Amino acid sequence: MLLPFFNWLNGLPVSQAIGSSIWIYPLVQAIHLVFLALFAGAILMVDLRLLGVTLRSQSMAQVARDARPWLIAGFLGMVCTGIPQLMQNASREYYSEYFWYKMYLIAFGLIFTMTIRRKVSQGTESSPASKVVGLVSIMVWGSVVVNARLIGLFT
Amino acid sequence: MADFLMPLHDLFFWVSEMPSSIAIRESLYVSPYLTVSHVVSMCIFAGLIVMMDLRLLGVGNMRTPFSEVQRRLFPWQMLGMGMSSVTGLTLAFADPMRFYVNIFFWTKMLVMVLAGINAMAFHFITYNSVVKWDSAANTPFGARLSGALSIVMWAVVIVSGRLIPYNWFQNS
Repeated sequence: MLLPFFNWLNGLPVSQAIGSSIWIYPLVQAIHLVFLALFAGAILMVDLRLLGVTLRSQSMAQVARDARPWLIAGFLGMVCTGIPQLMQNASREYYSEYFWYKMYLIAFGLIFTMTIRRKVSQGTESSPASKVVGLVSIMVWGSVVVNARLIGLFT
Repeated sequence: MADFLMPLHDLFFWVSEMPSSIAIRESLYVSPYLTVSHVVSMCIFAGLIVMMDLRLLGVGNMRTPFSEVQRRLFPWQMLGMGMSSVTGLTLAFADPMRFYVNIFFWTKMLVMVLAGINAMAFHFITYNSVVKWDSAANTPFGARLSGALSIVMWAVVIVSGRLIPYNWFQNS
């Protein structure tokens, strides 16, 4: 259903320009990873706090509030560097199962992070519920990374 | 490659001829999955290093005293470092000659050493005065310098690591 859209995306002059330069695509890929580190750090620090294994002298809410701007910055940075990569490769990535796993996991991760995780991280002390949320968050975002890396390796 | 790397040539070549190195190199799945694990480890290590650096710069995680951020994240950073080292060393072990001729690989190694020196310098110099600025609104110049250098250097490590497959300058 989305194939015409992906082909159109791939055919745009901008996408072609990205593809025909030897530098742009690799550099965008590399910068994507730098933003990944920022995003992962902001996610992980809060998740480890939700699990009750680090920064226990601070409340969960405090750690989560401190992390939020970096979480958002990291995510936006990855969107801005992810879209050009997709554009250049759209017709191929459409057929990659890992690409779609990644997209579904991101959709789930975003909703989960903005609703349940956000609610739970407003608490003070970690609880069984916050531990489950922290674990789910680590597993979902970890799976995003794994599937993302597999797109390039097995497509 | 540059002459000063020549002493390493024999070592890298010797490793590349080892049956275990050849076995990993010729396996279809080991290297890809090591690469994936390496990226996951990088997230743990670099992510938590950046969280600490933002605190050093005085722009992030300011609700927590620096020593607290440093002490509590340290074991997790070391876990990430351990995992990246194991996966990274195995990747290098599996195909040493590919990395030996790669400018981005050597850039990454060099900058990692510099980042290590920066961390040590911070630990043995600036960190001694931590009680004076642990919860202060502004961190001292030394702390901000270390934090900025660390972010820049680890970003260069990540970028040059990702560029290893694109060996534009290979001439051997």
